[in-house]
Amino acid sequence: MKGLQIVVLGSIVPDPLQTLEPVSGPTGPALKNELMLPAVLDPWAGHALYEAANLAKKVEGKVYLVALGPKAKLQQVMMNVAQKVPFEIVVLDGPASGFADAAETAAALAGGVEKIPGLDKSKLLVFGGWQSASRGTGAVLQMVGELLGITDQFQGVDEIAMAEDGSFTVLERIEGGSYQKSSCQGAPALLGWATGNLPEPPNNPQVGMQNMRLIMPALAKATPAPLKGEGLKYAGVELPSQRRETRVVKNAPVEDIARELADWIRA
Amino acid sequence: MTDVNTSAPAGDELPEGYERQRMDVDVACVGFGPAMGGFLHTLSQGLTNEDGTPVAESKAMPGMPPQVICYERADDLGFGVSGVVTKGRGIRASFPDLDLTQIPLATEVKHEEVLYLLDPVGASRRPVLMRLADKALKIFGMARNHAFKLPYVPGFLRKEPGILLSMGQFNQWAGGQIMAQGQAQIWPGTPVAGPILSGKAVAGVRLQDQGVDKRGVPEAGFMPGMDIHSQLVVVGDGPVGAVGRKLDEQLGLPAGNHAREWAVGMKMVVDLPEGCQLKAGTVLHTLGYPEPEIFGFLYVYPGNVASLGIFVPSWFDNPVRTAYRYLQHWMQHPVLWKHLKGGRMRSWGAKSLQESGKRGEPFLAGDGFARIGEGSGTTNVLTGSGVDEAWTSGVLLGVSVLELLKADQPFTRENIEKTYVRRRQESWLEREAKIAEKARDGFQNGVVQGLIGMALTGLTEGKLFWPGASKKPHERIPSIESYFQGRISAEEIAAIRKDCTAKGLPLHGALMDRAGWPKVEHDGQLLVSHQDALLMGGKVQAPSGYRDHVTFKSHNVCAGCGEKVCIEACSGQAISANPEGGAPLFDREKCVHCGACLWNCSKPSPGGGESSNVDFQAGAGGLHSAEN
Amino acid sequence: MKVLFLAHTEEDGSLGKAAAEALGAAKGLGGELVIGLFGAEVQKAADSVAGCGAVKFYGVAGPEFATARYGSDAAAAEAIAKAAGAEIIVAPSTSRMSRVAAGVAQRLGAKIDTRLTGLEAVGGKITATRWFYRQRMVGKIERDARPWLVTTDTGCFAPCEAAGSASVEMLTVAPATRSQVVEIIAPAADAQTIRPDAKLLLVAGAGWGKSQADGQKHVDEAARLILGLLSATQASLGSSKSLVDQSGEGAALPFLTHMHQVGQTGSTPRHPKGLATCCHGEEPHVVGWRFVGERRAINLDANCGWAQGKADVLYVADAFAVMSKLVDLLK
Ligand SMILES: Cc1cc2nc3c(=O)[nH]c(=O)nc-3n(C[C@H](O)[C@H](O)[C@H](O)COP(=O)(O)OP(=O)(O)OC[C@H]3O[C@@H](n4cnc5c(N)ncnc54)[C@H](O)[C@@H]3O)c2cc1C
Ligand SMILES: Cc1cc2nc3c(=O)[nH]c(=O)nc-3n(C[C@H](O)[C@H](O)[C@H](O)COP(=O)(O)OP(=O)(O)OC[C@H]3O[C@@H](n4cnc5c(N)ncnc54)[C@H](O)[C@@H]3O)c2cc1C
Ligand code: SF4
Ligand code: SF4
Repeated sequence: MKGLQIVVLGSIVPDPLQTLEPVSGPTGPALKNELMLPAVLDPWAGHALYEAANLAKKVEGKVYLVALGPKAKLQQVMMNVAQKVPFEIVVLDGPASGFADAAETAAALAGGVEKIPGLDKSKLLVFGGWQSASRGTGAVLQMVGELLGITDQFQGVDEIAMAEDGSFTVLERIEGGSYQKSSCQGAPALLGWATGNLPEPPNNPQVGMQNMRLIMPALAKATPAPLKGEGLKYAGVELPSQRRETRVVKNAPVEDIARELADWIRA
Repeated sequence: MTDVNTSAPAGDELPEGYERQRMDVDVACVGFGPAMGGFLHTLSQGLTNEDGTPVAESKAMPGMPPQVICYERADDLGFGVSGVVTKGRGIRASFPDLDLTQIPLATEVKHEEVLYLLDPVGASRRPVLMRLADKALKIFGMARNHAFKLPYVPGFLRKEPGILLSMGQFNQWAGGQIMAQGQAQIWPGTPVAGPILSGKAVAGVRLQDQGVDKRGVPEAGFMPGMDIHSQLVVVGDGPVGAVGRKLDEQLGLPAGNHAREWAVGMKMVVDLPEGCQLKAGTVLHTLGYPEPEIFGFLYVYPGNVASLGIFVPSWFDNPVRTAYRYLQHWMQHPVLWKHLKGGRMRSWGAKSLQESGKRGEPFLAGDGFARIGEGSGTTNVLTGSGVDEAWTSGVLLGVSVLELLKADQPFTRENIEKTYVRRRQESWLEREAKIAEKARDGFQNGVVQGLIGMALTGLTEGKLFWPGASKKPHERIPSIESYFQGRISAEEIAAIRKDCTAKGLPLHGALMDRAGWPKVEHDGQLLVSHQDALLMGGKVQAPSGYRDHVTFKSHNVCAGCGEKVCIEACSGQAISANPEGGAPLFDREKCVHCGACLWNCSKPSPGGGESSNVDFQAGAGGLHSAEN
Repeated sequence: MKVLFLAHTEEDGSLGKAAAEALGAAKGLGGELVIGLFGAEVQKAADSVAGCGAVKFYGVAGPEFATARYGSDAAAAEAIAKAAGAEIIVAPSTSRMSRVAAGVAQRLGAKIDTRLTGLEAVGGKITATRWFYRQRMVGKIERDARPWLVTTDTGCFAPCEAAGSASVEMLTVAPATRSQVVEIIAPAADAQTIRPDAKLLLVAGAGWGKSQADGQKHVDEAARLILGLLSATQASLGSSKSLVDQSGEGAALPFLTHMHQVGQTGSTPRHPKGLATCCHGEEPHVVGWRFVGERRAINLDANCGWAQGKADVLYVADAFAVMSKLVDLLK
């Protein structure tokens, strides 16, 4: 199947090791010092992007990244991502907060996909992370799929194998460490990726230079996409307290400790 | 166990089926610190004529404007480490309309103090003269909270009117400004392995291999580091950059120069406790404690946040010099602790400083390359400032490169010397560097001599100094036994060594406890274990697919090494004792790339030269905090 | 208020544990309860909860609904939800339901929130609890708009069991899908040491691989004790970064891989109890214990991290000695 259009939906999240703390802002909860926190491409969306590039190379397809996020942060993150694999970007300048409503995010993204010039739904595969690392609902992709009229959807995908005729099989993660293997007749379809099984591509300066020719202009003409933030109300967001009162048992005979532990385990 | 280190050869041999790719650009830049910020900002502003046409045409891609690419090792432009208080003369000149509110954490300097700290715990190793002074201060009631506030701030230290910045936030902001102009691309996460040299000329840079295991052996996804050819390589890779150091090794330093004075700066950014009395814009410099050789700083940002830390220098002859534990004792000095107690660590980091200044100046230019920033000797040890100096060196190069591009002149040594080096020699940078040149020589002899020397030099604008002959860093380091002579017996040290090595622990904990340093009581917020600081403050991480960037040249030398300073001084606990003996172990995932291991080794390189037994290369990863 | 409990049945026609818990959550809201089930068969599952107080049962069944496919599942769920016309729809967050829940909400014009860990109705107002930023913070949310579809996380609600016989109104649905489930690939069952459903998490730290009081390492003994406890308790095995790094290099325990690493850069497993052995309890490790209920640790060092509010009980003792006794006691 030649000429596939693989559209990856993905945005940015705080770099995973950052200390996060909620604060309440004028429009609801937000992260403290959000502007100062370094950001990365949402990890599962990142895997989706690398899988998309890998597939596009095999089928002579094209990869688009549709990203909803604050423009300045997206620019920064692109300097990390753009060296990885070739893609074109559609930038929607709006919030990437985990506190935004999934439905509003989905509507904005679907709009962004529809605007891709030359979009051909019969050749469309929509990729993304099966959950974001911010909101973690796993809801956005499904809704985008519905809005675009795609009813073959897969979530928690770790592998796609495409045949010559464009039909493919996927492995989805299900309970108990098992995989569900499904087949699909072909595009249009939607795949929410888990980690996949490709290693993170190396930074390739040539890919970076080429991507940047299109990314910088795309950033410059980003479509504003403010979310209304209607409907979803927060009664509060907090960090759970983890501190416990530790009882320290010293100088106790080993037998006693073992017995106490055995009772505790059996209880 | 083999004697030579086992990393793969960095030469041109590649496994079969792989080819080293090549890319051509016009200007290839290494490292994005303030020096490169100054360079790229100046260049970007001047590359286009008023009518929008480029001032010159790319030679690498005819028909295009000059292609300018900058590679930064760290995973983001905001992951640098510094203080930062600065007079900001160069920065303000570059941004005449600078609005500090646009840069998170930035503010004006409002108030400065220098504090001489007495030793409240009695464990610090103070020379007799200092003890007498301490006594006198106490007797005359001049010390409050075990500290003496200098009646005035000497002019050479003064930063008012100046700016307080966070290095991370400033670099991020400057990088954003540059990228938005669209003339230069800055790529983080891309360590440069070294220069491509042909004779004494530089033809470009080679990037680090990717898709290799920790020894450098190719794995799945192997991509040999690309060769980036360019007309000009701008080296702004800071104090421990691999490109600058390789040039120094290959070309040597101008006669009489050497870069032997180092320090590691370790710092935190702290959310001050509620109700803290410190006002935004306050600048405190400290000396005297935890050891007389260790200087400290505390700067207050808006929003009840402080940047604070210490410097542990190469002339502090303690073989178990752990910056982390000293930092904890320093913070708990009563005069600081009264402000800090109850605070919370937001960020933590460490980085080496090249403190040789003018004395360590390399060849600033050669065919196809120019050097800027701390690696080119800009940091002023007398005034304790490096950021604005680095920025300014970049600006001077930027102006010069524009001049040469417009005149269609090649980047030869002569042309760069005629433009950049001349400008630098005529600037305030050089004037002040000369004053500072010998300021710290006295420290070669002792800390009191050093302090007097610094004051002399500062107050006489360089006319007077306390002389002292420099040694290579490894030549200074005494054995543990001789450092603790009279305090801890050789037998006891042997027992401590045996015990700690078996547990895979460094010795400094046990030795400092034994020397009378109180135990650090962790509060889980500000006083935390070193490992916890790596995560809570440094957010340290390392991408896979790169070789270990810290290796040990001769494993036999390590096996016979009694000091193992590399383990004691490692800022990230990334180097640890090998219970099996032989060379220490290195854990890439804990390394903060501070470069301290480079000069914290007590044995010379088996290959001779200035360096030690540690090989420190450019690697990916490290700190992920954007507030340092 | 009309509440629809919506779930799929299992391969054997029963209602799964996660679904029974979601039903518990739905019932907890009060209101008029309606049940909707889909799958190859639904009667058995409906009977298993017949006495839960639901006023109505809907079902969609047939071979085309036997397997988990987006097209057929979404169509079935949509049909049930439309027939029920509820204001609140509660479903379990199994992989099968999670695949379609949001899509169904979109079709219904409903709002959606997933993986709730709490759901309660107080004075007519419904408040849901869910986690954000990879379980780093917890928020309480409310919505005025209806219908509102939510999915509930496992292990957070008491399951509802109330057997009887239910009369189910079957709906006919003709799904359009171009996908087929080919097979389910289960992991090899041999020597599995990671058991997500286990009651106990046993964490083995680097101390197991270190020289002990006699100056020797006892790695074989360590392996025997750890595996002994696992087989006696069916516990799940976790480890620290230090130990799995060593194991990766062949220096320590052969059965450990990076999959076992618990912590910031490892996993965050959910277990009611956790026992840490020979592990120092550094913060980067302990953040992975966020969802471990009761926590105990055995360490030689009374000042280790566990002592600082990270464990409920710290036993200052030699883990080799304690574990050896413990394995005997539990055998
Ligand atoms: C704790 C501390 C406190 C300080 N306080 C102050 C202060 O208050 N005021 C002041 O003026 N100065 C201060 N300094 C000094 C000041 O930070 C430095 O002098 C200044 O940052 C030097 O700038 P630079 O651009 O030359 O180098 P750097 O800031 O070191 O930048 C060099 C960059 O190059 C990158 N790099 C290195 N090697 C490679 C490679 N091979 N490939 C790609 N990239 C590479 C590095 O990652 C780095 O980002 C302090 C320093 C420290 C450590
Ligand atoms: C950015 C970052 C991310 C990290 N991510 C993770 C992560 O995801 N997971 C993780 O685990 N670590 C992580 N770490 C590493 C972490 O900080 C610690 O280094 C690691 O958890 C230590 O492992 P440990 O406690 O097993 O080993 P050690 O610190 O070596 O502790 C061994 C312990 O065993 C005890 N001991 C020895 N013998 C006995 C005996 N006979 N009986 C009882 N006790 C004994 C000792 O007293 C000691 O407390 C990370 C670090 C960083 C910097
Ligand atoms: S690297 Fe240097 S200090 Fe470290 S063990 Fe080897 S010789 Fe000693
Ligand atoms: S190993 Fe890394 S963290 Fe340790 S001293 Fe060297 S550069 Fe610094």
